[in-house]
Amino acid sequence: MAVISDDLKKAMPFTTRYPELGTGPIDVAPLIDPDLFEIEREKIFKKTWLYVARTEELPKPGDYKIRKIEVASTSLIIVRDKDGKVNAFHNLCTHRGNKLIQEEGSQTFGSTGNHLMTCRFHAWSFSTDGKLHGVPRQENFDNLDKNCLALKSVHCEEWQGFIFINLDKSPKQTLIEYLDGMDEQFSGYPYHESTERYQYSTVLNCNWKVAMYAFSEGYHVPTIHAATLPSLAKIEQIEFQCFGPHSTSALYVPPVAGMEPTPVTGNLGGRLVGSEQHKPQLDLLPEKMNPDRRSDFQFEFPVFFPNLVLHLGAGNGYPGMTYFHHQFWPISVGQTLWEGTNYFKAPQTPSERIAIAHINALHRNAWLEDTSTMEDTYAALCSGALEEMVLMDEEIMIRNTHKHWHDYMKA
Amino acid sequence: MKSLPEKFSSLGPFVDCWSHATELQRSQQRWTAGVKEFQSFYQAMLPILDEVLDYLDQYEVGAIPDEARALYHLALAFAEAAPHNELYECANEVPNSFAASRFIAAHGQIEDK
Repeated sequence: MAVISDDLKKAMPFTTRYPELGTGPIDVAPLIDPDLFEIEREKIFKKTWLYVARTEELPKPGDYKIRKIEVASTSLIIVRDKDGKVNAFHNLCTHRGNKLIQEEGSQTFGSTGNHLMTCRFHAWSFSTDGKLHGVPRQENFDNLDKNCLALKSVHCEEWQGFIFINLDKSPKQTLIEYLDGMDEQFSGYPYHESTERYQYSTVLNCNWKVAMYAFSEGYHVPTIHAATLPSLAKIEQIEFQCFGPHSTSALYVPPVAGMEPTPVTGNLGGRLVGSEQHKPQLDLLPEKMNPDRRSDFQFEFPVFFPNLVLHLGAGNGYPGMTYFHHQFWPISVGQTLWEGTNYFKAPQTPSERIAIAHINALHRNAWLEDTSTMEDTYAALCSGALEEMVLMDEEIMIRNTHKHWHDYMKA
Repeated sequence: MKSLPEKFSSLGPFVDCWSHATELQRSQQRWTAGVKEFQSFYQAMLPILDEVLDYLDQYEVGAIPDEARALYHLALAFAEAAPHNELYECANEVPNSFAASRFIAAHGQIEDK
């Protein structure tokens, strides 16, 4: 490996700490090549742990969520069984393969009344732990063994209330092994306290990595968000770390003299900051986050390979907002279902609900700015005119994802 | 018929346009509002914002009685519309942004009660 010069270390202090990532350009083909997309289905989306639900989405035994995963040509039933355990199954009746539960769109929610899920084709019924429960006219089959016809299960594990699945029949790693140290960095954050959830989604006409990479760096913030987030004209993105295919960094916004919030944001944001429920709480961050307990901490944003970016705040970036995440579900090489979700603690009063609506709207508007470049970027890249892209120091998380994407594709 | 508490009757002219139960309905109004609509709503609402919020806070969140429901929805619409006044020069879209109507809110059709 080439010796890293002092000048390069000064120019790229974070990237040069991970020599295996290099400092040169990355190739563009993975963002536009349809043949590579077909390989991604098998080698990435059917091999890695994928986040599919928050535990709060399934509050009671019998509650389920159907998650369509188009890139893996399946949809999954994620269901809480009688014992409170969350299980995942392919949404498919083991008789002749009909969808067990009818779905609408990419996510469908419901609850089984009697802990049974019944197929509308021939009324086979399954319990929430996957066992085949009832078969009409069972005696007319050739020695049908119900034990062999349970729902097709999918590996499912939970970390801090985040439910992940793995479509590999025998995953090489447990979820915790796969997280590769991320669990240690981010366990203990009070995720479960944030029960107020606002999710937006859209189908973007771009490759999933174009969208994901745009949300994996802070370099764009002063430019793209000049209208909605003028206070972020100067940001500090530091504390980069790589954990195998995953990576993280933190965003700080040193206060700018004379930059007062606008009247409505000042009023409504101030109400949240001043309330017991929603006030900034730096002391609730896990030890390894914001180690100096800086009050200008905005959030840390870990990138979970392959398709999740989490942002963990302490209520002092966007007032009252605790955390948010982005997820990128490939549909085709040039289409991606993006889902952005904001989390708050529950409002205690009508005025807190109104203040949350304001902060949520501001943040959604910032996402309208973020998503405004993605389709243009993809369309332009499809020209093939740019074969490689250069990355600056603070775009290191893209570099890390990209390197590990190649490793998975080669495996 | 949507009606406002007597002490907020000055907001009457804004009820038909802005007071809607769901985020989607309020967004549809926001996406089509003109500069003057943003301006007049903001000018009427901002000076009495604290009064409106204090009034609403005598009720439980999620259980606003009928007589205050239109005011509650008006305040939510104001919270969502104000960035257009304060940041976007009363344009009905975020400058240089993705088409707002392409964002689907999972909660968009849930009524605020």
